[in-house]
Amino acid sequence: MQRRNFFKGAATAVTTAVAAASVSRVAMAALPEPASQSSADTAAPLVPPNGRPYRPVVTLNGWTTPWRMSNGVKEFHLVAEPVVREVAPGFSVNMWGYNGQSPGPTIEVVEGDRVRIYVTNRLPEHTTIHWHGQRLPNGMDGVGGLTQPHIAPGKTFVYEFVARRPGTFMYHPHADEMAQMAMGMMGLWITHPKAASPLIAHVDRDYAFLLSAYDVEPGAMTPRVNEMTDFNIWTFNSRVFPAITPLVAKQNDRVRIRVGNLTMTNHPIHIHGHEFEVTGTDGGPVPRSARWPEVTTDVAVGQMRQVEFIADELGDWALHCHKSHHTMGAMGHDVPTMIGVDHRGLVSKIQKIVPDYMLMGERGMGDMGSMEMPLPDNTFPMMSGTGPFGSLEMGGMFTTLKVRAQLGANDYRDPGWFKHPKDTVAWEWTGKPLGADAPRQTPPGSASGAPSVRKPGTDSGHDQHH
Amino acid sequence: MNTRRITTTLSALTAALVLAGCASVASDGLRGDVQQQTQSRLPKDAQLASANADARKEAQDRIADWLKQPVDQDTAVRIALLNNPDLHAQLAELAAQDAERAQALTLINPTLTLGRFTNGHEREIERQLGFNLVNVITLPWRSRWLGWQMERATLQASQNVLLMAAETRRAWLRAVASEQSLAAAVKMNDAAQLGAELARRMAQVGNFNKLQQARELSIAQESAAQLARARLAAATDREQLSRMMGLWGTQAAFQLPAQLPAIPRSAGELRSGDDAEATALRERLDLRALRRDLDTTADRGGWAGVGAVFGDIGATYSNNRSTDRETGHVEKTRGWELDLPLPIFDWGGSASARTRAEVRRSAALLQSTALRARGEARTSWSRYRTAWDLAHQQQAEVLPLAKLVQDETVLRYNGMFDSVWQLLAQARATTQAVVNATNAQRDFWLAETDLQLALTGTSPGETAALGSSASNAASNTNEQGH
Repeated sequence: MQRRNFFKGAATAVTTAVAAASVSRVAMAALPEPASQSSADTAAPLVPPNGRPYRPVVTLNGWTTPWRMSNGVKEFHLVAEPVVREVAPGFSVNMWGYNGQSPGPTIEVVEGDRVRIYVTNRLPEHTTIHWHGQRLPNGMDGVGGLTQPHIAPGKTFVYEFVARRPGTFMYHPHADEMAQMAMGMMGLWITHPKAASPLIAHVDRDYAFLLSAYDVEPGAMTPRVNEMTDFNIWTFNSRVFPAITPLVAKQNDRVRIRVGNLTMTNHPIHIHGHEFEVTGTDGGPVPRSARWPEVTTDVAVGQMRQVEFIADELGDWALHCHKSHHTMGAMGHDVPTMIGVDHRGLVSKIQKIVPDYMLMGERGMGDMGSMEMPLPDNTFPMMSGTGPFGSLEMGGMFTTLKVRAQLGANDYRDPGWFKHPKDTVAWEWTGKPLGADAPRQTPPGSASGAPSVRKPGTDSGHDQHH
Repeated sequence: MNTRRITTTLSALTAALVLAGCASVASDGLRGDVQQQTQSRLPKDAQLASANADARKEAQDRIADWLKQPVDQDTAVRIALLNNPDLHAQLAELAAQDAERAQALTLINPTLTLGRFTNGHEREIERQLGFNLVNVITLPWRSRWLGWQMERATLQASQNVLLMAAETRRAWLRAVASEQSLAAAVKMNDAAQLGAELARRMAQVGNFNKLQQARELSIAQESAAQLARARLAAATDREQLSRMMGLWGTQAAFQLPAQLPAIPRSAGELRSGDDAEATALRERLDLRALRRDLDTTADRGGWAGVGAVFGDIGATYSNNRSTDRETGHVEKTRGWELDLPLPIFDWGGSASARTRAEVRRSAALLQSTALRARGEARTSWSRYRTAWDLAHQQQAEVLPLAKLVQDETVLRYNGMFDSVWQLLAQARATTQAVVNATNAQRDFWLAETDLQLALTGTSPGETAALGSSASNAASNTNEQGH
């Protein structure tokens, strides 16, 4: 599924790129025609048709916007507008984004490029764009009211500056930003280095995504913008597992992953099977002496992290936020824990009153992943996704890093599930079983070592006269 | 002259005797008349209790037959008509009135006066046969008036029959609705008890604290109390129905249908309100009874003065025999006397005034009742129509919505967005919605009963206020959050 859509997405991106670059009618007018994207699939990397060459990034479930060269200036056109984002198949959310999607298109430029960005506001309220992490004239910083007037609905503003610093950046509004970012207004900005730098390695695969979180009532479509902490949709680029494209790499490729955090909490991003180094932040490349190996890096609120590693271990490796509830889809946060509760004799009685009732949670919540019970419309399950060995019991900020020996250099297609070499998968012990049940020290509901004195009459027990 | 007078007297006497012969007691105590008046206003084949012992036994067999099946609304009315002791009493009262009428129309027995008087030389034997002449002369009129009065009494009894039938219908509707509500209360209580039991087990393994458990327990207690109230209401309403049907002992263990009849599907099937007033004025028995009153008082008006003046005309035939005690000579005198009151003091003015006032009162009473009938026709129809709107809203909108909420809650439970307690709380709320819908359905049929009565029978009296179910709903659907 991912493979097919991947090509479709790539084709769309190329078509729009060509269209935007070749229509002279638009060139005659001062304003470049904005490119737009209708698909939430991962688009193929956009090889720069003009300007300084660079190795493009792959935006996870996103795309890079084409540009127009005008007298040596790279011109982009962003349109801030309401969009419907497919967060997962069958689960669409009303968002605000740019050029048809949320997050908006990735802007890729090269260090030293002069950049002119037209920003048209098709939102119902005013907006601005702040170019997060850029060195630029103060009046281009995009803080409504502080450095510029707001962009009223229907108006187009122009930002112009030189991309002075290579690195990983982002853009987002600085006008009613709590609502606008809760609605999904954000995008990536990558400035590639002009020349080889000792701190910036050449990589074979360069992936980028933003972390964003939403609070969508199960069955509703619009995020609750007034929520401050209690989010239920945790996304990579406004997409949730299993709908997030896997990151693929040929064995021994050098892989860079760029992660930006526009949620309201930190995310420890964790990769299995490899150690990586944080090679850069939105402050720039990290000096080599300051790098140390990690398998998890915490991306704090408003930060960007750039990690690099050699994908030398074959397999399907999990890549996820290590806050376990961030790898969950929507769930009720007030639902009591049912683990260990004796339901004997009650289930059929409840079914008499609520015929569709099914017992859940008395052994834990893992059953949820495989039950596939009907949910409210437009609601993504708390955990879903199936792997080669069964239910994955994950949703949200989770995807896989797929390392394969045989893979073309520019091949980003999902290679399918890993075929494990013989005897390399954990197996079930089929030898002699454990002789006796392990004795249980403390029954549930009673603290170990607590005095077992009870008030007379409160216990049906026989020992009250002891 | 004499002969002619005698002839006149004789013919008057003959006529009176004939009329007196007519004034026999109705053999069925006028039940047939009542039956005829009420036939079209009662369920098909509904029979009044008979005074006849055989018929009564047959009726008992029929009742026993009916009671083998769940008793529907019409059958409840049929049983009540045959079996309700109050109705027996009322019909017996009517028969008694009829007997009184017959008695009133029987000529007053002539008076035979015998006298024996003696003095020194004479012994006189007096024999007088006297009777009230007016009594005889006014017999045709009195017969007419009393006939009207009986017609009026019959109409009154008919109204009582209809009121009784309506009251039985109401009792049936309340009893069935109460049983439906009781079934719902049992279900609600089951849900609450399950919640409490599950909470107890939660606390047992340390997943709930005492407060959380206590909250679920208090819901269960409240719900148990509600169940007790529902049981009492169902028992009371059923008792009332048994009483109306005159059933006791093993017969009181009759069965009722599980459901009230469905309300009409569309507003088009409802009775139109356009002709409500005209129908009431044309059909209502209380109006017809008052019209008879007016006829009677008006007819009497002409006679009142005359009656007051000549009310005591008496005719006496005397046959006196005097015997001379010494000579033994017998002298016979025969003759008649006429007692005529002299209208010196009372020319019948006050009596006329009284009857004129009575006519006016009677007319005013008729007018006022007609006015009330019009008003009742209008308001009963409005109640009926609004009751249908409310019941239809419950059926067509509220219940589907409650079901949707229930279904969505199940979906939310499936997704672990809601807990099983929220699911059970919603099940209770949904059941309460069913109770509210049942009450609205019952209120519609109660209003329909009142409307039938107001249009074709008599004043429906106090009717149940609509919207009582809404207030129940407010008090019983407390949101149970977690």
